[in-house]
Amino acid sequence: MADYYSSFDPKGSRWMLQRLTAAFLVVVLAFHFMLLHFVNHAADVTFMQTHLRMQQPGYFLTMVAFLVTATFHGVNGVYNALVNQGLDGTPKTVVKYGLVLASLLLIAQGIRVAMAMAGFIIGPAA
Amino acid sequence: MSQSYDRGLVEDFGRWREFSAGMWAWIFHKFTGWVLIGYLFTHIAVLSTATVGTTAYTNTISGLESLLVVRFLEVGLLAVAVFHILNGLRLLFVDLGVGLEAQDKSFYASLVLTGAIVVASVPTFLAGAI
Amino acid sequence: MSTQVTEQEQAETEEESTHQRRRLEEKAERQEVRDRMRERAETDLEQADTVFDLKVFRYDPDIPEKEEPRFDTFPVPFTKGMTVLDALMYARDHYDSSLTFRHSCRQAVCGSDALFVNGTQHLGCKTQVVDLGDSEGVPGQIRVEPLPHQEVVKDLVVDMEHFYDQMDAVEPYFDADELPSGDLEEQRQTRENREKIKMSSRCIWCGACMSSCNIAAGDNEYLGPAAINKAYKFAMDDREGEDRKQERLEIIEQEHGVWRCQTQFSCTEVCPKDIPLTEHIQELKREAVKNNLKFW
Repeated sequence: MADYYSSFDPKGSRWMLQRLTAAFLVVVLAFHFMLLHFVNHAADVTFMQTHLRMQQPGYFLTMVAFLVTATFHGVNGVYNALVNQGLDGTPKTVVKYGLVLASLLLIAQGIRVAMAMAGFIIGPAA
Repeated sequence: MSQSYDRGLVEDFGRWREFSAGMWAWIFHKFTGWVLIGYLFTHIAVLSTATVGTTAYTNTISGLESLLVVRFLEVGLLAVAVFHILNGLRLLFVDLGVGLEAQDKSFYASLVLTGAIVVASVPTFLAGAI
Repeated sequence: MSTQVTEQEQAETEEESTHQRRRLEEKAERQEVRDRMRERAETDLEQADTVFDLKVFRYDPDIPEKEEPRFDTFPVPFTKGMTVLDALMYARDHYDSSLTFRHSCRQAVCGSDALFVNGTQHLGCKTQVVDLGDSEGVPGQIRVEPLPHQEVVKDLVVDMEHFYDQMDAVEPYFDADELPSGDLEEQRQTRENREKIKMSSRCIWCGACMSSCNIAAGDNEYLGPAAINKAYKFAMDDREGEDRKQERLEIIEQEHGVWRCQTQFSCTEVCPKDIPLTEHIQELKREAVKNNLKFW
């Protein structure tokens, strides 16, 4: 039994967040798939089309929210799977902070990509 | 007491034929989860070509999409994502305490529905590459 | 068949002490009884309508020949109403008295004989042999093993200490916040409240649920379905009071408490007392979340 309270998990908030992000992702992931494989075809994607979509603020914000929630849901899932396998002690702390770092990097890179697609930062030469 | 014998976890997977629905659901959900998080990182990496330039982005994507193996991988991705979504919905219902009596039936339903959706989507996914 | 360590002493000693003689006589008697039982088994087998094979996991670290685990097969004549426990006792009495397994009440209340029968957790005394076959009745062979995910001490006996540790960790005893005022006042419980905790109070500490849970197998610190169910029984008991309930919730809200449950449902499926374990754990998760939302 844990004798200390980890600051990372104040009493089940990660459990709750996992469910909340799940509900959000069910809708958005399905929408993302529909849009990019059925409405448009992945094979036909060009930067121009991506740019046009990402320029709409609603779509842009949805995609960023998608990125953040998916990262949390996925990385939290991985962390839980490892704890269930018996991850403990020092390796657990190392993994935990490693995963946090990886998530932050992913989100940062994802936002950079989103900005580049939308043209919010001065785009690179075509 | 003399030393006791630890039969270990290995024998677990040897008994796969005896697994219950709930156990399969747990295994598949974990497996599809790992695949999806792996894909998320790869996806952002591929999309990062957008920061390099417009042509780099377009060419990378159409280049990948022209490979037949990539199309098949996409069908696999669809299967994985659809199962994770459907079983995830099942888990959300379980967490709300709804329909616990039918939890194993709802797992089988997710499998069947996943299969149906994947099969129905194959033509769309393979269009233009076969 | 099983390995019996042969008696070699009888040939050697010529000592005439009465104690020694008596001991040897008693030993010869026991050997006679064993031989008689074996003969009786042979007649039983000939006369029985159905005979099935009881394949039992054997392991004994104290005896060199039995250090490597293996399976022994005993032919057992079927009698109507025979349970797995009956079959094991038949094998022990007629073929190999060293066959070791826990059992006590024979009526599914003591929780001693939880076993792994044909790949699923069952109580030996509650499982009818005839139910283990398919629709035709008695199966050809029944495989009996000790509970998985626990260390085997000998044959079918597993070390239950870890299970008891987890049970103790939730403080499984009634403890009211305050006693009623008058001397003869009772601590009353409504019928509805009793109904609510009725199923959770049926636990007989057999350990089947914990041995079926894959998370309990992987994560040693996980409290396990039985312990959490016990916590449920007391936390949901109105007679205990809010403070005590808060304390109980705090114990099971820790990282290796309720949150580790992945709703695999195996515990619910194998529980011999039909306790809806997963449902109770889920309710406690919701309780914990609601509890914490209050403090935001």
